[in-house]
Amino acid sequence: MAVIEIDHLNKVFRIPHEKRNTLFATLTGLLRPSSYETFHALKDITFSVEEGEMLGIIGQNGSGKSTLLKILSRILVPTSGAVRVRKRITPFLELGVGFNQDFTAAENIRIYGIIMGLSPREIDDKSDDILEFAGMERFRDTKLRNFSSGMQVRLAFSTAIQTNPEILLLDEVLAVGDMDFQKKCLDVLERFKNEGVTIIFVSHELDDIADHCERTMLLNHGERVMIGETNEVIKKYQTQS
Amino acid sequence: MFIQHIKELYDYRNLIWVLAWVEFKQRYKNSVLGYFWSLLEPLFMFTILFLVFSNLIQAHVEHYQLFLLQGIIMWSFFTRSTTASLMAIAGKQSLVKKVYFPRDILVIAGCITALLMSIFESIVFLVFLLFFRIPLSLNILYLPIIIFLFFIIVLGTSLVLAALNVYYRDIQYIWALFLQVGFFATPVIYPLSVFPQYLLQILSYNPLAQVIFLARDVTLYSKVPNPASFLFVIFIAAVILGIGYAVFIRLEPRFAEEL
Repeated sequence: MAVIEIDHLNKVFRIPHEKRNTLFATLTGLLRPSSYETFHALKDITFSVEEGEMLGIIGQNGSGKSTLLKILSRILVPTSGAVRVRKRITPFLELGVGFNQDFTAAENIRIYGIIMGLSPREIDDKSDDILEFAGMERFRDTKLRNFSSGMQVRLAFSTAIQTNPEILLLDEVLAVGDMDFQKKCLDVLERFKNEGVTIIFVSHELDDIADHCERTMLLNHGERVMIGETNEVIKKYQTQS
Repeated sequence: MFIQHIKELYDYRNLIWVLAWVEFKQRYKNSVLGYFWSLLEPLFMFTILFLVFSNLIQAHVEHYQLFLLQGIIMWSFFTRSTTASLMAIAGKQSLVKKVYFPRDILVIAGCITALLMSIFESIVFLVFLLFFRIPLSLNILYLPIIIFLFFIIVLGTSLVLAALNVYYRDIQYIWALFLQVGFFATPVIYPLSVFPQYLLQILSYNPLAQVIFLARDVTLYSKVPNPASFLFVIFIAAVILGIGYAVFIRLEPRFAEEL
């Protein structure tokens, strides 16, 4: 069964030449027509994702990968086309959204966990596991501002993976953290995959894509160039650039 | 659609609560006096206004100290939540651009934070009530309903401000000006009896004035709420919330692009 169906999806951004972000400028500007450029970020994209599948998405910067994930997570609205999602989506577009530097590690686990859809009880049960996975048991009551950025990402990832995702969107979040931690993360991905979680994985690390995704989609300037067996798509991508 | 949205908000109740709690806690985190600031602020305001106006107005008003203090606490709830709402969306870029949840949650959470602060401030008011031995009656049971209606009015206003300020950043300056006028157009420091009839007419259309009167009546003067004002406030609260959501829902889809 297809859990995600995207049908002729288009996304057009309007980029005004002169931004009117005050009431005053808008009122005084009423007489002059406003001029803007359009940027066609996604052009007529159609594809579907089967339940339990891990789909890779590759493409150069600006090819529309992130825009696509943001539309799937309902952060952006499509300009036209249909998006059908049949299960709960858990987006990891950026780790540590809502992290607050003035709060302790334990408090931030709570804030971030709830943003990611955990219940307070689940968080109470799991906060020890989360700290342990991040390797930070001793820093439970340390304020976040005293952590390095790497530690913060580890804390965020450890919290995020405690959610029980049905569909997981990953946007290059693994690019941070050291080798050990990256290994740990990929193991978790593999575990999710075995549990039947549907995963969409955006990455520039072609090796990771090749190792984990059976099917991959290649985007270029907002267009779907190719979708199919991962090795062939990667080959196409390499000849294209 | 309305019922569906209420249900969705209920699903996100933990998020609303945690966002409100974070704001509340953060406000006092880096100050030496911590939560006591919250008590000192209305006390300072009260002391100054009392020194200036007590001689002028006291003759007209029974329990003027409490009359004034209740007005100040209620007015600050209005100023605080609407001012905070200006940045409720515009100042939360990282959340709005990276995760999905119904965006009105940010505004609701901001209003709850302000309400928590006002409830906390009311400790001072409670002490005053006991100290001056104000006789209370069962009519005080109307107070929670009045505060609920007040909250709805505040929320509706905040939704409009939060959404507009994403697109027009000068809304915040316009609103600051409006609040200054509003303070004097709302009977916080003075009773209505100081005004001639024609001004009373105009002021009676100010919903904040009506809410503050109702609250004072049931708390300080052991009165049953005036039915006409009560119905007026219910009606206005519904209208303002309706307008608030109409504006908000229209502007909401492009928040993430605009920020």
